[in-house]
Amino acid sequence: MNRRVVEFITALRAQGVRISVAESIDALRAADVAGVTDRKVFRSALRATLVKEPQDLPTFDKLFPAYFGSDPPPPMMQPGGGMSDEEREQFMQQLMEMLRSMTPEQLRQLFEAMMTGQRMSGQQMRQMLDEHTSLSQMPPNVPGSWALRRAMRELQFDRLQELLEELLEKLREAGVSEEALQQLAEEARQNQQALAQQLAQEAGAGMAQREAEQPRPRPSEEELLDRPFEYMDEEDLAELRPIVTRLAAQLRSRVALRQKRANKGNLDAKSTIRANMRYGAVPLDIRHRRKHLKPRLVIICDRSRSTEQVVRFLLQLIYTLQDVVSRTRSFAFIDTIYDISSYFNEARPEQAIEQVLQNVYPKRSYSTDLGQSLADLMRDHAGCIDHRTTVVVLGDARNNENDPRLDVFEQIKRRSHKIVWFNPEAPHMWGQYDPGSLSSDMLKYMPLCDSVHHVSNLRQLVAAVDSLFVR
Amino acid sequence: MRRFFGRERSERKAANVFDTIEEIRSRLGEQQYIASDEIATTVFLAERLNKPVLAEGPAGVGKTELAKVWAAATGRDLIRLQCYEGLDETKALYEWEYAKQLLYTQLLRDKLSDLLAGAETLGQAADRLAAEEDVFFSDRFLLPRPLLRALTSERPVVLLIDEIDRADAEFEAFLLEVLSDFQVSVPELGTIKARHQPMVLLTSNNTRELSEALKRRCLYIHIDYPSLDDEERIVNLKVPGLPPRLARQAVELVQRLRTMDLKKYPSISETLDWARALLELNARSLDRHTLDTTMSVLLKYESDLRKARRAVARADDERAERRRRDRDDEFRNFREN
Repeated sequence: MNRRVVEFITALRAQGVRISVAESIDALRAADVAGVTDRKVFRSALRATLVKEPQDLPTFDKLFPAYFGSDPPPPMMQPGGGMSDEEREQFMQQLMEMLRSMTPEQLRQLFEAMMTGQRMSGQQMRQMLDEHTSLSQMPPNVPGSWALRRAMRELQFDRLQELLEELLEKLREAGVSEEALQQLAEEARQNQQALAQQLAQEAGAGMAQREAEQPRPRPSEEELLDRPFEYMDEEDLAELRPIVTRLAAQLRSRVALRQKRANKGNLDAKSTIRANMRYGAVPLDIRHRRKHLKPRLVIICDRSRSTEQVVRFLLQLIYTLQDVVSRTRSFAFIDTIYDISSYFNEARPEQAIEQVLQNVYPKRSYSTDLGQSLADLMRDHAGCIDHRTTVVVLGDARNNENDPRLDVFEQIKRRSHKIVWFNPEAPHMWGQYDPGSLSSDMLKYMPLCDSVHHVSNLRQLVAAVDSLFVR
Repeated sequence: MRRFFGRERSERKAANVFDTIEEIRSRLGEQQYIASDEIATTVFLAERLNKPVLAEGPAGVGKTELAKVWAAATGRDLIRLQCYEGLDETKALYEWEYAKQLLYTQLLRDKLSDLLAGAETLGQAADRLAAEEDVFFSDRFLLPRPLLRALTSERPVVLLIDEIDRADAEFEAFLLEVLSDFQVSVPELGTIKARHQPMVLLTSNNTRELSEALKRRCLYIHIDYPSLDDEERIVNLKVPGLPPRLARQAVELVQRLRTMDLKKYPSISETLDWARALLELNARSLDRHTLDTTMSVLLKYESDLRKARRAVARADDERAERRRRDRDDEFRNFREN
C-alpha cells in the first residue's frame, strides 16, 4: 500500500503539484490512521495531507482513481430472472453454444459478462484495453472521450447488441415465452450499459496514469525567465505562475528587510514622554518617528494586445507585494483611463487580472491615446497622486500620432514623488517609426521620467519592480 | 494573581480522543454542526497525528465555527487569536508587565537598600543585584497572550488562529516554531513546551498566498459553500421554528444568488440571519414585499441588492405570465368542451 501511495505522490509531482518529503510522510501516516477500508475516508486523508492549494484539487481528483481504483462500477444483474426452469435451461444451453464458437476472444468475454451478469474485475478489463485497443499508444493530447469511443469500436462493443438479438431469435424459436424474452433483453441491456460505464472508468484511469508517468518535457526555469513575453504561450504561463509567486516572495522579504533596517527614524520626544508616563516618566520605551517607507503606487498600464502579458505579470507581482506597499491604485488606458483598482479589492490577484483583461479591451485598432488618458486621469483621479506616490507607466508609448500631452505628464511629475516608465520594447526601437503602430513618443516622455526600464522578460520585470522600492 | 505555571491544581482529565470518524461526526452534530466527510476526516487526522489544520474558503462558511464546536465537542477550552496587520509577538505571545515591575521596584526599595547595604564596591553591589534579577524576569511579571496561554494552559485547549492571511509574512514565519514543535522560546525564561498539545485551527480567507512552509506543517481543508441539501439541513437545524417549505424556498433563493455576478455572495451565516429574520417577521411565503424588506440582511452592497431585486422581479413576472397562460389554456379547453 505504502508503495502505491508513493507512486501516487510521484505522479502528482509530475503534474506540477508541489509536495515535500515531510508531506509525503504525513500522507503515509494519515493513510495508516485512516485505514483503507472506507474509500472516502482514505481519499480525504490523502487530500488533507497532500493538496494545499485549491487549484491542485482537480489534479488530485483526476489521478486518485488511476491509483486507487475507481468508484465501484454499477451493479450487474443476473439475467433470466423471469423464466421458468425449463426456459432457463434452454437459455443457458443456447448461450453456451454461441459462446463456444464466438471470436474474437475479448468480445466473447464481454458477451459472457453481459449475459451471465458476472462482473469483470478492473484488472481484467485494463488488460483487455491494453492488449486489444490502441488506447495505450494514443498521444497524450487526444481528448479522452474520443480515445474512449475509438477503443470501444476496436473492442466491437456495438456488436453485443447484434449478438443479443441473435440469441433472442434462437430462444424464440426454441419456444421461450415472449414475456420472458423481453425481460431478458431488458436485463441484458442494463448489463451492457454497466459494462460500458466500467470500461470508460478504467480507460480514463489508465490514460491519467500514463499521462502522469510521462510528464511533458518542460523548459528550464532560467529559460522561462529570459523568454520574451511576446513568445509565451498558455503552457509557459502555467509554468511561470509558481515561479512568479516565489519571485514575489523573494522580492517581498528583500524589500521588507530594507524597510526594517531603515526604520529607525529620529527620536519622537512627544510620543516617548506620553508612552512613558506610566513608568513614572522613566524613558523605558523609546519611540521613534517612523519614516514613511512603504511607497504608494499608482500604476498606469497600456491595455493593448502587445502589452497584455507584461501587464498580467506586473499586476500580479505588485499585488502579491501588497504588504510592503502602503497603497496601490491601478489604471488601464486605451483611449481613456479605466480605474481597475476595484477588481483587486474583491478577488485574488490572478482572478482579478483575468477579469480586467476580459472587461477592459480595445474595441477597435489604433485606438490607444495616452495623452487623452493622462488628461482624463488628472481630471478624475488627481487625488490619488501626492508627494509620496510613485507613478509607474507601463507601455510602449506608441500613441497613434495623438497629442502626447507632455504638459499633463509634467504636471503628474510635479505632483508625484517620482515617475517611472516600464517599456516592453527594446531600447533601439524607442522613437523609431514602426509601420504597425506608427510613431513612438518614448523619447519625448523619457527626459521627464525619473527612470526608464526595459522590461521584455520576467527577469527584467522583477529587477524593475525591485527598483521601485529603493529610495 | 495569575499563576499559569502553577502546579497546585491537579491536572484535569485529558480531552477524550475520538475513536472513529463517525463518532466525530455525531459529536460535532450534537453541537449543531454538520460536518462533511472531508471536515470529519481532517479533524480525526488532526487528533491522531497532532497536526494543525488550515481551513481556507470564502468568508462565512463556518471556519471559525468549526473551532468552537471542536472545542465544545471535546471539552477543551477555546483560545482565540485574531490576526490583523501589524500583529507582533508582544500581542500574540507575551509581554513583560513593565508597570508592575516598576511598581515592585519602588515598593521594594527599602529591601533593596538592605540587600546592597554591606556591599563595598560598586561591582559587588551590581553582582548582588544581578543575583536577584530572576525575581523581575519571572512568570510573575509575564503577561501571557493567546499563544502562550494555549501552550501553558492547565486544561487541553483548541487554539484558533483566525484570518492568518491578514497578519504579516513575518508573523507567519514566527508561528512556524509554535506549530511544528508546540514550543516557544522566551529569551529571559528559556523554551516553554506545551503542557498539553493544543489542537490548532488556522483559518484563511484567501486574500493572500500563505507561505509554503506554513502549509507544509498543516493539514488542509478547503471549505466551500454547502450544497442545496446541506444548507437546507443547516437552516432547519439552526432555525428550528421556520416552516420547512419556507426554509427550502429561502435556501433555493440564496443558492441562486450565489450563481449571479455579485460583489459579495451571501454566506451561510447570512442565510441563517435571514432565516431568523423571516421567522421574526412571521413570514408565510417569500412574496415581493417580504423580499424587499428583508433582502438587505443577505446582501450588503447597494448594487448587489438592485441586481438581486431585478432578478427576482423578472422570475416573478415569468411565473405570473406562465400562470396566466395556463389559466387561458384551461379556459379555452373548457369552452371547447
